[in-house]
Amino acid sequence: MIKFEQVSKTYPGGFQALNNVSFHLEPGEMAFLTGHSGAGKSTLLKLISMMERPTAGRVMINGHDLKRIHSRQIPYARRDIGMIFQDHRLLMDKTVFDNVALPLLIEGYSMQEARKRVHAALEKVGLGDKVRHYPMMLSGGEQQRVGIARAVVNKPPLLLADEPTGNLDPKLSMEIIRLFEDFNRVGVSVLIATHDLGLIARLRYRTLTLRDGRMINDGLQES
Amino acid sequence: MSLLFRSRQQGAQQVNISGFRRFVMFWVHNLQQAVASLGELARYPMASLMTMAVLGLSLTLPATLYVVVKNTEAIGADWQHASEITLFLRKDLSQQEVSTFHKRLSLSNDIESVRWIDKNEALQEFRESSGFGEALDALTNNPLPDVLLVLPVANKRGTVQAQQLAQQLRNEREVEQVRLDLDWLQRLEALLNLVRDGLLALAALLCIAVVLIVGNTIRLNINSKRDEIMVMKLVGATDGYIQRPFLYTGVWYGFVGGLIAWLATAVMILWISGAVADISELYESQFALIGLTFNEMLVLWLLAIGLGLLGSYIAVRKHVRTIEPQ
Repeated sequence: MIKFEQVSKTYPGGFQALNNVSFHLEPGEMAFLTGHSGAGKSTLLKLISMMERPTAGRVMINGHDLKRIHSRQIPYARRDIGMIFQDHRLLMDKTVFDNVALPLLIEGYSMQEARKRVHAALEKVGLGDKVRHYPMMLSGGEQQRVGIARAVVNKPPLLLADEPTGNLDPKLSMEIIRLFEDFNRVGVSVLIATHDLGLIARLRYRTLTLRDGRMINDGLQES
Repeated sequence: MSLLFRSRQQGAQQVNISGFRRFVMFWVHNLQQAVASLGELARYPMASLMTMAVLGLSLTLPATLYVVVKNTEAIGADWQHASEITLFLRKDLSQQEVSTFHKRLSLSNDIESVRWIDKNEALQEFRESSGFGEALDALTNNPLPDVLLVLPVANKRGTVQAQQLAQQLRNEREVEQVRLDLDWLQRLEALLNLVRDGLLALAALLCIAVVLIVGNTIRLNINSKRDEIMVMKLVGATDGYIQRPFLYTGVWYGFVGGLIAWLATAVMILWISGAVADISELYESQFALIGLTFNEMLVLWLLAIGLGLLGSYIAVRKHVRTIEPQ
């Protein structure tokens, strides 16, 4: 599903965020990506979502070399990747419905089809009764779940989450992770970046570990 | 269309959107975005109206000047009647010879009408109106020549054609002297040309100013929606999709700005027409200012919309692309 081949990323100014990183995430796999702040977790996710381009090496999704994807095609490619952020990135002046419907309307769905799917996605994350609310009226955990509903509403085969539990207490964090497990169970590949080691320890998923831009453990080695 | 997962459309996805459906939805979305951007403008009515007013009032100045030039041209066309050629005939001609010449000219294709002022009648009139009666009585013979006033046919009344005709007539045996008072007409035309050129330059400058103002307003607009644009890009919106509401905003600026331009031009003309009425009264002539015709109003409106669109297009081209999610 996601394959990195000797990928390096150096930002303008000389800071090397990733150094010769290689790993392979199988289709339908769920994995954690961990490491201290500044280890390169966000950069790695940005390379997958094409917010950044690698300085060297190859990033592949489903066998497609991302280098071959023209900048004009990036929006279309991003529709196949559900992205979840620590700060949710919701539009605060739009209702929950409008937020979740955004990817569908961009893709050209009619209102009726979009409505069906938005309701289904919100039911899934347990916010079926908050459709008409504004994000401001929701708690942090609920806002995060709106973000998840938006990420999965067009049923992408790949989910990326950047610190999805960063601002949540352990109980809420676990609820969010259970949601990801549900999606994973129906075949969605999930990659979660987090530094919540306690959370990782409680779950037995493959864990990729970064330190100073190098992958010190890709979760497959015996340890 | 799925780029990375080509099988996704057929397999995993249950709702398959046909090309026709996409096409229909494209226009439905355009309409929705147009209405939405109008709603967005209505949320900040003062700021929106100010931009629209700048656009409208900027176009009012050239539009009003245009009306003035148009009307002056109309007057000029009326005054072309003044390109009458005055022929002073030789004094040694007999009454018979003058009459023959008068008839000959009347038959010419280039001449619409010829009026003959008989020298005896002219003397009589002069004696009565000038008050030099006694002095004239002292003269033994009539000092005035016979005069023919020649009015060229309509298409020979232009300055160049009238001059050619005058030249022809000057060569006639019977003609002593030809007078064609064209200088003032030429001066008026030159003046009109100057005003017209000035108007064009002014209009061009104001149009550029309008484009820059709209562009700058849209740029600020884009910057204030930076976060929203980033989110839209993250969930796969193309630049075109993001740009459209801003382009519609530009169109709305032009749409309303055009209406303001109409209104302001009408008010300006109303104002000027008072002064014009005074002048035409002094000249004892009937003259009413012609405002903008329907077609001219349409052109003004389309121009306003076009400028709004152009301004916003320049802004979105430059700025939407540079906002990238981080």
